[in-house]
Amino acid sequence: MPASSESITLTGDLHARPAGALAVAAGRFAASVSVSAGSKTVDAKSVLGVMGLGATSGQVVTVSADGPDAEEAVAALIAIVSEATRVGGLGAAAVRSDAAADSRARAVGAS
Amino acid sequence: MSQVAPRVGIVLVSHSVRLAEGTADLAGQVSGGTVRVLAAGGTEDGELGTSAEKVARAVASAEAGAGVLVLPDLGSAVLTVRAMLEDMPGARVVLADAPFVEGAVAATVTAAAGADLKAVATAAEEAWHARKL
Repeated sequence: MPASSESITLTGDLHARPAGALAVAAGRFAASVSVSAGSKTVDAKSVLGVMGLGATSGQVVTVSADGPDAEEAVAALIAIVSEATRVGGLGAAAVRSDAAADSRARAVGAS
Repeated sequence: MSQVAPRVGIVLVSHSVRLAEGTADLAGQVSGGTVRVLAAGGTEDGELGTSAEKVARAVASAEAGAGVLVLPDLGSAVLTVRAMLEDMPGARVVLADAPFVEGAVAATVTAAAGADLKAVATAAEEAWHARKL
């Protein structure tokens, strides 16, 4: 099984939305994927685990994968961490309002 | 969206309209908005309580072709959901035993990744073990 690993220094905190984006992306790979920050290592496919890392700006985060698509998984997740924690990245207001409009539309459809 | 395989839908059954809607909003945003997350909170007239009809409508709206996971907020909502499921014998619906907020977020994110109903239910139930501190 190929294994792959890469580290990145966070430029923003790993809040709920970036943690969600990371876990959604990780779940699409067959490889097992983990994320480490400080002394903690969690399953990247578990959003609650990633949130529980409490990784903050300036911390080094390491993404490791083991499995047939390990290399692609690491590249994709590093890109997401980089984008999602950047100021103006996934945590920005545009994403927030899109998702809110989406859920309002669903709520209307449900009632 | 038509190119994407259907995702498991999520129904949040709460005694409170606002608790169900707020949790659905949170889970929807954290997962990126690609999963049908339906709130079924309160009674028909919006009071505290649960409604089998509301749950049934939410389950029907949440079904995108991959089944539906139902999460109750408290044990007494389980009775309502079970009664509703008896009236929908063919439905691919699983009732999860999970913490409400954490289970909703974990299930929705797992559904967004394209997991099947069993894996989505497992993600919700594993939320019992997630520590915040």
